[in-house]
Amino acid sequence: MGAFNRGIASWLGRLPTVWVEGEITELRRQARWASVFFTLKDPADGSCLSVSMPRGQFDAVGGSVADGDRVHVYGRPELFAARGEFRLRALSLEQFGLGDHLAALERLKQKLAAEGLFAAERKRALPRFPRKIGLVTGNDAAAKRDVLTAIQSRFPPASVLVAETYVQGPRAAGAVIETLGALCREEDVDVIVVARGGGSFEDLLPFSDERLVRAIAACPVPVVTAVGHEQDMPLCDLAADARASTPSVAGRLVVPDLNELLARLDRARSGLERGARRALERERQRLDRTHDRLGRAPRLLVERSRHRLEQSAGRLRALSPKATLARGYAIVRSGDEIVRSGSAVEPGERVDVELAEGGFGARVEEAR
Amino acid sequence: MSEPTFEEAQRELEAIVNRLESGEAPLDEALKLWQRGEELYRLCRERLENAEGKIEELASRAESARPE
Repeated sequence: MGAFNRGIASWLGRLPTVWVEGEITELRRQARWASVFFTLKDPADGSCLSVSMPRGQFDAVGGSVADGDRVHVYGRPELFAARGEFRLRALSLEQFGLGDHLAALERLKQKLAAEGLFAAERKRALPRFPRKIGLVTGNDAAAKRDVLTAIQSRFPPASVLVAETYVQGPRAAGAVIETLGALCREEDVDVIVVARGGGSFEDLLPFSDERLVRAIAACPVPVVTAVGHEQDMPLCDLAADARASTPSVAGRLVVPDLNELLARLDRARSGLERGARRALERERQRLDRTHDRLGRAPRLLVERSRHRLEQSAGRLRALSPKATLARGYAIVRSGDEIVRSGSAVEPGERVDVELAEGGFGARVEEAR
Repeated sequence: MSEPTFEEAQRELEAIVNRLESGEAPLDEALKLWQRGEELYRLCRERLENAEGKIEELASRAESARPE
Protein backbone atom coordinates (compact mmCIF):
# COMPACT_ATOMS: atom_id res chain seq x y z
CA MET A 1 0.00 0.00 0.00
CA GLY A 2 2.86 2.29 0.82
CA ALA A 3 4.25 1.56 -2.62
CA PHE A 4 0.89 2.44 -4.14
CA ASN A 5 0.81 5.83 -2.42
CA ARG A 6 4.38 6.51 -3.34
CA GLY A 7 3.61 5.55 -6.92
CA ILE A 8 0.67 7.96 -7.08
CA ALA A 9 2.75 10.63 -5.40
CA SER A 10 5.53 10.28 -7.89
CA TRP A 11 3.05 10.28 -10.76
CA LEU A 12 1.41 13.47 -9.42
CA GLY A 13 4.85 14.95 -8.99
CA ARG A 14 5.29 14.89 -12.72
CA LEU A 15 2.35 17.27 -13.22
CA PRO A 16 3.33 20.87 -14.00
CA THR A 17 2.98 23.72 -11.55
CA VAL A 18 -0.26 25.63 -12.10
CA TRP A 19 -2.14 28.80 -11.08
CA VAL A 20 -5.41 28.15 -9.29
CA GLU A 21 -7.94 30.81 -8.33
CA GLY A 22 -10.32 30.57 -5.40
CA GLU A 23 -11.59 31.90 -2.10
CA ILE A 24 -9.68 31.14 1.09
CA THR A 25 -11.56 29.30 3.80
CA GLU A 26 -10.53 27.44 6.94
CA LEU A 27 -7.15 29.14 7.13
CA ARG A 28 -5.05 27.45 9.81
CA ARG A 29 -1.71 28.92 10.76
CA GLN A 30 0.26 28.13 13.88
CA ALA A 31 3.71 29.27 14.84
CA ARG A 32 4.87 25.72 15.62
CA TRP A 33 3.75 24.36 12.25
CA ALA A 34 6.10 24.38 9.34
CA SER A 35 3.23 24.83 6.94
CA VAL A 36 0.09 26.90 6.75
CA PHE A 37 -3.08 25.09 5.70
CA PHE A 38 -6.19 26.39 4.06
CA THR A 39 -8.92 25.33 1.71
CA LEU A 40 -9.51 27.03 -1.60
CA LYS A 41 -13.15 27.25 -2.54
CA ASP A 42 -14.67 28.01 -5.90
CA PRO A 43 -17.43 30.54 -5.11
CA ALA A 44 -19.32 29.56 -8.25
CA ASP A 45 -19.85 25.87 -7.53
CA GLY A 46 -18.51 25.35 -4.01
CA SER A 47 -15.86 22.82 -4.95
CA CYS A 48 -12.92 22.72 -2.57
CA LEU A 49 -9.21 22.08 -2.70
CA SER A 50 -6.89 21.58 0.27
CA VAL A 51 -3.75 23.66 0.12
CA SER A 52 -0.58 23.68 2.18
CA MET A 53 2.11 26.31 1.98
CA PRO A 54 5.46 26.68 3.74
CA ARG A 55 4.87 29.09 6.60
CA GLY A 56 7.80 31.33 5.74
CA GLN A 57 6.60 31.78 2.17
CA PHE A 58 3.04 32.32 3.30
CA ASP A 59 4.05 34.98 5.77
CA ALA A 60 6.21 36.68 3.15
CA VAL A 61 3.40 37.12 0.63
CA GLY A 62 0.17 36.46 2.36
CA GLY A 63 0.53 37.76 5.87
CA SER A 64 -2.67 39.79 5.51
CA VAL A 65 -4.65 37.07 3.79
CA ALA A 66 -7.80 36.06 5.65
CA ASP A 67 -10.81 33.82 5.21
CA GLY A 68 -13.02 35.00 2.39
CA ASP A 69 -10.23 36.56 0.34
CA ARG A 70 -9.93 35.65 -3.27
CA VAL A 71 -6.44 34.56 -4.21
CA HIS A 72 -4.38 33.11 -7.00
CA VAL A 73 -2.22 30.23 -5.79
CA TYR A 74 0.78 28.96 -7.73
CA GLY A 75 1.58 25.40 -6.86
CA ARG A 76 1.91 21.73 -7.63
CA PRO A 77 -0.57 18.96 -6.88
CA GLU A 78 0.87 16.39 -4.50
CA LEU A 79 -0.13 13.42 -2.41
CA PHE A 80 0.67 13.51 1.27
CA ALA A 81 1.73 9.89 1.10
CA ALA A 82 1.59 9.20 4.86
CA ARG A 83 -2.17 9.87 4.94
CA GLY A 84 -3.13 9.35 1.33
CA GLU A 85 -4.42 12.90 1.11
CA PHE A 86 -4.33 14.89 -2.08
CA ARG A 87 -3.60 18.57 -1.93
CA LEU A 88 -2.00 21.51 -3.66
CA ARG A 89 1.46 22.40 -2.47
CA ALA A 90 1.55 26.16 -2.84
CA LEU A 91 4.78 27.86 -3.78
CA SER A 92 3.39 31.34 -4.14
CA LEU A 93 0.20 33.21 -3.51
CA GLU A 94 -1.21 36.43 -4.86
CA GLN A 95 -4.17 38.26 -3.57
CA PHE A 96 -6.84 38.63 -6.17
CA GLY A 97 -5.94 42.01 -7.59
CA LEU A 98 -8.12 45.08 -7.76
CA GLY A 99 -8.21 44.76 -11.52
CA ASP A 100 -9.50 41.20 -11.30
CA HIS A 101 -12.20 42.25 -8.86
CA LEU A 102 -13.23 45.16 -11.04
CA ALA A 103 -13.41 42.98 -14.11
CA ALA A 104 -15.47 40.35 -12.26
CA LEU A 105 -17.78 43.07 -10.92
CA GLU A 106 -18.21 44.58 -14.34
CA ARG A 107 -19.15 41.17 -15.79
CA LEU A 108 -21.65 40.62 -13.00
CA LYS A 109 -23.07 44.09 -13.48
CA GLN A 110 -23.56 43.50 -17.22
CA LYS A 111 -25.20 40.15 -16.56
CA LEU A 112 -27.64 41.49 -13.96
CA ALA A 113 -28.39 44.58 -16.03
CA ALA A 114 -29.20 42.33 -18.99
CA GLU A 115 -31.68 40.51 -16.78
CA GLY A 116 -33.36 43.84 -16.07
CA LEU A 117 -32.54 43.75 -12.35
CA PHE A 118 -31.53 47.41 -12.31
CA ALA A 119 -34.32 48.69 -14.59
CA ALA A 120 -35.95 51.95 -13.55
CA GLU A 121 -39.45 50.48 -13.92
CA ARG A 122 -38.65 47.90 -11.25
CA LYS A 123 -38.09 50.63 -8.67
CA ARG A 124 -40.91 51.02 -6.19
CA ALA A 125 -41.95 54.30 -4.60
CA LEU A 126 -40.99 54.56 -0.95
CA PRO A 127 -43.95 54.81 1.43
CA ARG A 128 -44.60 58.40 2.56
CA PHE A 129 -45.66 57.36 6.00
CA PRO A 130 -44.10 53.99 6.90
CA ARG A 131 -45.57 52.21 9.90
CA LYS A 132 -42.19 50.74 10.75
CA ILE A 133 -38.74 51.12 9.23
CA GLY A 134 -36.36 48.18 9.13
CA LEU A 135 -32.68 49.04 9.48
CA VAL A 136 -29.93 46.60 8.55
CA THR A 137 -26.60 47.78 9.83
CA GLY A 138 -23.37 46.61 11.28
CA ASN A 139 -22.61 47.12 14.92
CA ASP A 140 -20.51 49.90 13.43
CA ALA A 141 -21.94 52.74 15.46
CA ALA A 142 -21.60 55.61 13.00
CA ALA A 143 -23.85 54.39 10.18
CA LYS A 144 -26.53 53.19 12.56
CA ARG A 145 -26.42 56.38 14.60
CA ASP A 146 -26.54 58.55 11.47
CA VAL A 147 -29.64 56.80 10.14
CA LEU A 148 -31.42 56.89 13.49
CA THR A 149 -30.52 60.54 14.15
CA ALA A 150 -31.73 61.59 10.71
CA ILE A 151 -35.00 59.69 11.12
CA GLN A 152 -35.70 60.94 14.61
CA SER A 153 -34.90 64.56 13.98
CA ARG A 154 -37.01 64.68 10.84
CA PHE A 155 -39.88 62.60 12.14
CA PRO A 156 -39.84 61.89 15.89
CA PRO A 157 -42.87 59.56 15.84
CA ALA A 158 -41.08 57.07 13.55
CA SER A 159 -40.74 53.46 14.62
CA VAL A 160 -37.53 51.72 13.66
CA LEU A 161 -36.64 48.05 13.94
CA VAL A 162 -32.87 47.77 14.01
CA ALA A 163 -31.20 44.53 12.95
CA GLU A 164 -27.48 44.37 13.47
CA THR A 165 -25.50 41.91 11.44
CA TYR A 166 -22.16 41.36 9.76
CA VAL A 167 -21.44 43.98 7.14
CA GLN A 168 -17.86 42.98 6.54
CA GLY A 169 -15.95 39.84 5.72
CA PRO A 170 -16.87 36.58 4.07
CA ARG A 171 -20.06 36.09 6.05
CA ALA A 172 -21.45 39.54 5.36
CA ALA A 173 -23.44 38.85 2.18
CA GLY A 174 -25.20 35.84 3.66
CA ALA A 175 -25.80 37.60 6.95
CA VAL A 176 -27.32 40.67 5.29
CA ILE A 177 -29.56 38.46 3.13
CA GLU A 178 -30.74 36.57 6.20
CA THR A 179 -31.37 39.80 8.10
CA LEU A 180 -33.34 41.30 5.21
CA GLY A 181 -35.52 38.21 5.22
CA ALA A 182 -36.01 38.39 8.97
CA LEU A 183 -37.10 42.05 8.76
CA CYS A 184 -39.53 41.26 5.95
CA ARG A 185 -41.19 38.66 8.15
CA GLU A 186 -41.82 41.26 10.84
CA GLU A 187 -45.21 42.97 10.85
CA ASP A 188 -45.69 46.55 9.66
CA VAL A 189 -42.19 46.94 8.19
CA ASP A 190 -42.93 49.12 5.15
CA VAL A 191 -39.41 50.01 4.08
CA ILE A 192 -35.90 48.73 4.81
CA VAL A 193 -32.67 50.70 4.97
CA VAL A 194 -29.38 48.89 4.44
CA ALA A 195 -26.65 51.12 5.84
CA ARG A 196 -22.94 50.61 6.03
CA GLY A 197 -20.30 53.21 6.56
CA GLY A 198 -17.37 53.77 4.28
CA GLY A 199 -14.65 51.19 3.86
CA SER A 200 -12.05 49.87 1.50
CA PHE A 201 -13.01 48.47 -1.85
CA GLU A 202 -12.66 44.98 -0.41
CA ASP A 203 -14.75 45.88 2.64
CA LEU A 204 -17.64 46.82 0.39
CA LEU A 205 -17.37 43.78 -1.90
CA PRO A 206 -20.05 41.80 -0.05
CA PHE A 207 -22.50 44.51 -1.15
CA SER A 208 -21.80 43.55 -4.74
CA ASP A 209 -22.29 39.86 -4.04
CA GLU A 210 -24.65 38.40 -6.63
CA ARG A 211 -26.81 36.69 -4.03
CA LEU A 212 -27.23 39.88 -2.02
CA VAL A 213 -27.97 41.98 -5.10
CA ARG A 214 -30.65 39.48 -6.12
CA ALA A 215 -32.08 39.36 -2.61
CA ILE A 216 -32.44 43.15 -2.57
CA ALA A 217 -34.13 43.18 -5.96
CA ALA A 218 -36.50 40.42 -4.81
CA CYS A 219 -37.21 41.93 -1.39
CA PRO A 220 -41.01 42.27 -0.98
CA VAL A 221 -40.50 45.58 0.87
CA PRO A 222 -38.87 48.62 -0.81
CA VAL A 223 -35.16 48.89 0.04
CA VAL A 224 -32.97 51.98 0.40
CA THR A 225 -29.22 51.41 0.39
CA ALA A 226 -26.58 53.67 1.86
CA VAL A 227 -23.35 51.76 1.47
CA GLY A 228 -19.92 53.34 1.58
CA HIS A 229 -19.31 56.83 0.31
CA GLU A 230 -20.77 58.81 -2.55
CA GLN A 231 -18.25 57.54 -5.10
CA ASP A 232 -18.64 53.87 -4.19
CA MET A 233 -21.26 52.21 -6.27
CA PRO A 234 -21.72 48.67 -4.99
CA LEU A 235 -24.11 46.66 -7.16
CA CYS A 236 -26.70 46.49 -4.37
CA ASP A 237 -27.22 50.25 -4.90
CA LEU A 238 -28.29 49.56 -8.46
CA ALA A 239 -30.84 46.96 -7.40
CA ALA A 240 -32.26 48.99 -4.52
CA ASP A 241 -35.43 51.04 -4.93
CA ALA A 242 -33.56 54.13 -3.80
CA ARG A 243 -29.90 54.81 -3.25
CA ALA A 244 -28.69 57.27 -0.66
CA SER A 245 -25.25 58.83 -0.74
CA THR A 246 -24.90 58.61 3.06
CA PRO A 247 -26.74 56.95 5.97
CA SER A 248 -28.18 60.36 6.98
CA VAL A 249 -29.65 60.88 3.53
CA ALA A 250 -31.18 57.39 3.72
CA GLY A 251 -32.79 58.32 7.02
CA ARG A 252 -34.31 61.44 5.52
CA LEU A 253 -35.61 59.50 2.52
CA VAL A 254 -37.75 57.08 4.51
CA VAL A 255 -39.73 59.48 6.70
CA PRO A 256 -41.76 62.61 6.00
CA ASP A 257 -40.71 65.91 7.55
CA LEU A 258 -42.88 66.34 10.65
CA ASN A 259 -42.70 70.15 10.61
CA GLU A 260 -43.67 70.29 6.99
CA LEU A 261 -46.47 67.84 7.65
CA LEU A 262 -47.79 69.96 10.52
CA ALA A 263 -47.51 73.14 8.45
CA ARG A 264 -49.40 71.49 5.65
CA LEU A 265 -52.10 70.34 8.04
CA ASP A 266 -52.41 73.86 9.44
CA ARG A 267 -52.62 75.32 5.96
CA ALA A 268 -55.35 72.84 5.13
CA ARG A 269 -57.16 73.81 8.30
CA SER A 270 -57.08 77.53 7.60
CA GLY A 271 -58.21 76.78 4.05
CA LEU A 272 -61.05 74.87 5.61
CA GLU A 273 -62.05 77.82 7.73
CA ARG A 274 -61.60 80.31 4.91
CA GLY A 275 -63.65 78.15 2.57
CA ALA A 276 -66.49 77.70 5.02
CA ARG A 277 -66.46 81.39 5.92
CA ARG A 278 -66.61 82.32 2.27
CA ALA A 279 -69.60 80.05 1.68
CA LEU A 280 -71.27 81.60 4.71
CA GLU A 281 -70.49 85.15 3.56
CA ARG A 282 -71.86 84.44 0.12
CA GLU A 283 -75.10 83.11 1.55
CA ARG A 284 -75.36 86.05 3.93
CA GLN A 285 -75.01 88.54 1.09
CA ARG A 286 -77.62 86.73 -0.91
CA LEU A 287 -79.95 86.80 2.08
CA ASP A 288 -79.31 90.55 2.52
CA ARG A 289 -80.20 91.21 -1.07
CA THR A 290 -83.39 89.21 -0.74
CA HIS A 291 -84.25 91.05 2.45
CA ASP A 292 -83.75 94.41 0.77
CA ARG A 293 -86.07 93.41 -2.00
CA LEU A 294 -88.58 92.27 0.56
CA GLY A 295 -88.39 95.72 2.23
CA ARG A 296 -88.88 97.52 -1.04
CA ALA A 297 -91.84 95.43 -2.09
CA PRO A 298 -94.76 97.27 -0.19
CA ARG A 299 -93.61 100.74 -1.26
CA LEU A 300 -93.47 99.50 -4.80
CA LEU A 301 -96.97 98.17 -4.42
CA VAL A 302 -98.27 101.55 -3.12
CA GLU A 303 -96.51 103.38 -5.94
CA ARG A 304 -98.06 101.11 -8.43
CA SER A 305 -101.53 101.53 -6.87
CA ARG A 306 -101.22 105.30 -6.74
CA HIS A 307 -100.19 105.36 -10.34
CA ARG A 308 -103.15 103.27 -11.30
CA LEU A 309 -105.44 105.44 -9.18
CA GLU A 310 -104.24 108.58 -10.89
CA GLN A 311 -104.80 107.01 -14.23
CA SER A 312 -108.33 106.15 -13.22
CA ALA A 313 -108.88 109.67 -11.82
CA GLY A 314 -107.72 111.17 -15.11
CA ARG A 315 -110.03 109.03 -17.04
CA LEU A 316 -112.84 109.91 -14.61
CA ARG A 317 -112.18 113.60 -14.97
CA ALA A 318 -112.17 113.29 -18.73
CA LEU A 319 -115.64 111.84 -18.53
CA SER A 320 -117.13 114.46 -16.10
CA PRO A 321 -119.55 117.13 -17.62
CA LYS A 322 -117.49 119.90 -16.00
CA ALA A 323 -114.77 119.27 -18.59
CA THR A 324 -117.35 119.56 -21.35
CA LEU A 325 -118.69 122.83 -19.88
CA ALA A 326 -115.14 124.13 -19.69
CA ARG A 327 -114.90 123.67 -23.45
CA GLY A 328 -117.86 126.17 -23.87
CA TYR A 329 -120.85 123.90 -23.71
CA ALA A 330 -123.88 124.71 -21.48
CA ILE A 331 -126.47 122.58 -19.75
CA VAL A 332 -130.07 123.79 -20.03
CA ARG A 333 -132.57 122.60 -17.46
CA SER A 334 -136.32 123.00 -17.28
CA GLY A 335 -137.18 122.34 -13.66
CA ASP A 336 -135.13 119.23 -12.82
CA GLU A 337 -135.15 117.88 -16.39
CA ILE A 338 -132.22 118.45 -18.71
CA VAL A 339 -133.51 119.93 -21.98
CA ARG A 340 -132.31 117.75 -24.88
CA SER A 341 -134.78 118.81 -27.59
CA GLY A 342 -136.50 122.10 -28.78
CA SER A 343 -139.85 120.41 -28.54
CA ALA A 344 -139.43 119.95 -24.80
CA VAL A 345 -139.97 123.67 -24.07
CA GLU A 346 -142.66 126.27 -24.80
CA PRO A 347 -142.03 129.95 -25.73
CA GLY A 348 -142.13 132.08 -22.55
CA GLU A 349 -141.05 129.10 -20.40
CA ARG A 350 -138.37 129.78 -17.86
CA VAL A 351 -135.15 127.60 -18.05
CA ASP A 352 -131.90 127.42 -16.08
CA VAL A 353 -128.58 127.53 -17.92
CA GLU A 354 -125.51 126.09 -16.25
CA LEU A 355 -122.06 127.14 -17.46
CA ALA A 356 -118.52 126.09 -16.48
CA GLU A 357 -118.48 129.10 -14.18
CA GLY A 358 -121.91 129.86 -12.63
CA GLY A 359 -125.07 130.18 -14.74
CA PHE A 360 -128.17 132.25 -15.34
CA GLY A 361 -131.97 132.07 -15.63
CA ALA A 362 -133.58 132.68 -19.11
CA ARG A 363 -136.96 132.75 -20.90
CA VAL A 364 -137.57 130.80 -24.13
CA GLU A 365 -138.27 133.20 -27.01
CA GLU A 366 -139.06 130.62 -29.62
CA ALA A 367 -139.05 126.78 -29.81
CA ARG A 368 -137.72 125.09 -32.96
CA MET B 1 -66.51 53.19 8.44
CA SER B 2 -63.02 52.09 9.67
CA GLU B 3 -60.49 54.70 10.78
CA PRO B 4 -58.66 56.13 7.78
CA THR B 5 -54.86 55.93 7.73
CA PHE B 6 -52.97 59.17 8.19
CA GLU B 7 -52.40 59.44 4.46
CA GLU B 8 -56.05 58.81 3.63
CA ALA B 9 -57.16 61.37 6.20
CA GLN B 10 -54.72 63.94 4.88
CA ARG B 11 -55.81 63.34 1.29
CA GLU B 12 -59.49 63.66 2.21
CA LEU B 13 -58.83 66.84 4.18
CA GLU B 14 -57.07 68.43 1.22
CA ALA B 15 -59.84 67.38 -1.17
CA ILE B 16 -62.36 69.03 1.16
CA VAL B 17 -60.33 72.25 1.25
CA ASN B 18 -60.17 72.28 -2.55
CA ARG B 19 -63.93 71.83 -2.77
CA LEU B 20 -64.53 74.60 -0.25
CA GLU B 21 -62.10 76.96 -1.90
CA SER B 22 -63.70 76.43 -5.30
CA GLY B 23 -66.72 78.22 -3.79
CA GLU B 24 -69.05 75.76 -5.46
CA ALA B 25 -70.37 74.02 -2.39
CA PRO B 26 -73.80 75.20 -1.22
CA LEU B 27 -73.95 76.35 2.38
CA ASP B 28 -75.34 73.15 3.86
CA GLU B 29 -72.64 71.14 2.15
CA ALA B 30 -69.97 73.69 3.05
CA LEU B 31 -70.84 73.45 6.72
CA LYS B 32 -70.81 69.66 6.62
CA LEU B 33 -67.47 69.73 4.81
CA TRP B 34 -66.08 72.09 7.39
CA GLN B 35 -67.15 69.83 10.21
CA ARG B 36 -65.70 66.77 8.50
CA GLY B 37 -62.51 68.69 7.71
CA GLU B 38 -62.05 69.72 11.33
CA GLU B 39 -62.54 66.11 12.35
CA LEU B 40 -59.88 64.97 9.88
CA TYR B 41 -57.52 67.71 11.00
CA ARG B 42 -57.85 66.62 14.64
CA LEU B 43 -57.38 63.01 13.64
CA CYS B 44 -54.18 63.80 11.73
CA ARG B 45 -52.81 65.98 14.53
CA GLU B 46 -53.52 63.27 17.07
CA ARG B 47 -51.85 60.66 14.91
CA LEU B 48 -48.72 62.78 14.73
CA GLU B 49 -48.70 63.82 18.36
CA ASN B 50 -49.62 60.51 19.92
CA ALA B 51 -47.46 58.29 17.75
CA GLU B 52 -44.55 57.44 19.98
CA GLY B 53 -41.26 56.94 18.23
CA LYS B 54 -39.77 53.57 19.00
CA ILE B 55 -36.37 52.08 18.37
CA GLU B 56 -36.45 48.33 18.80
CA GLU B 57 -33.75 45.78 18.18
CA LEU B 58 -34.54 42.76 16.09
CA ALA B 59 -32.63 40.23 18.11
CA SER B 60 -34.46 36.95 18.27
CA ARG B 61 -34.92 36.13 14.63
CA ALA B 62 -31.53 37.14 13.34
CA GLU B 63 -29.64 35.34 16.07
CA SER B 64 -27.50 33.31 13.71
CA ALA B 65 -26.53 36.40 11.76
CA ARG B 66 -25.50 38.47 14.74
CA PRO B 67 -21.91 39.09 15.60
CA GLU B 68 -20.83 36.95 18.51
